[in-house]
Amino acid sequence: MPYFPTSQEWYEQSSLLLKARPASTRITSKYSVSKPAASKIKKRQKYEEKKASRPVNTTRPSSPPPQSQDAEEITVTFTLKTYDPASGTCLQYETNKGAEVGRLIGNLGRLGRHMAALPETTEDLSMPAEGVSMPRPDENAHVKMGTTSSDNKAAAGTGGKKKKKGKK
Amino acid sequence: MGRDHLSNEEFFTQLANLFEYTRTKGHGTVYLTQKRMTFNTSSTPPPASKVADDPLWDTHPAEPLPVLIRAYNNKSKKKEGTDREDIDKTQLSTIVKPDDLDGFYARYAEACKAGMSRLKKRDKKKAKKTKKRKKGEIKIGV
Repeated sequence: MPYFPTSQEWYEQSSLLLKARPASTRITSKYSVSKPAASKIKKRQKYEEKKASRPVNTTRPSSPPPQSQDAEEITVTFTLKTYDPASGTCLQYETNKGAEVGRLIGNLGRLGRHMAALPETTEDLSMPAEGVSMPRPDENAHVKMGTTSSDNKAAAGTGGKKKKKGKK
Repeated sequence: MGRDHLSNEEFFTQLANLFEYTRTKGHGTVYLTQKRMTFNTSSTPPPASKVADDPLWDTHPAEPLPVLIRAYNNKSKKKEGTDREDIDKTQLSTIVKPDDLDGFYARYAEACKAGMSRLKKRDKKKAKKTKKRKKGEIKIGV
């Protein structure tokens, strides 16, 4: 039951597992907000006391000032778990950063495509989904037809189109 | 359990309620699960002979399959000395068709970002400090 250090590793391993066992593998994400238990509060208070009694190290001015932690601070975690009951494989990743949620759900979406047996999307995550499903030759014809119209589109449209224009 | 699957629209409103409920309660857990829908789908299962021939038939199905999404929380038990009451767990589920998958996940990400507001925000103060330090180092180097 490994916890991966990075979400990228978790995604790669999960994607391999899904490719091998797409029918039985499931992904559970858990968002948990928990208040600390009484014993945990005690432990934190003890630790704070211990830290306060220690002499302050003045030889290293660059070290950040000690952050005092609220003893009753709640714990919030977001855990991703890929589990395959047939083989017993379990892959996990845990974070407490809100900034990661969007990217992680994006990963879930890409893994969802494996589940649905859809072809993989391109690696470029910034590309909008609609752009991928659009027929390509048609788009190219549009660009060729008139530079003015495509310019307008590029100004109003997404970055994905601009990229294509640059390639051409 | 005989629960009916919700439509995608309904699922998102209920999911927002579920997150809101956890937020107002101040603690709690929300689980989200996704897996391939293999039961009771319109696509017929491959004949037994084919399965025997090719044990990996499920890795390359003839057509894309829907994905089942579930969301649930834990039930609450009455506890002396606290304000906890007996509340059954909430369970939601929806089926996402392969064609709707990308659109669904775009909305799903938004719903989750909004719902998981208690996670740590990006620490702006810290980032500024490190930037300043870096600049200082460069100056010393020059």
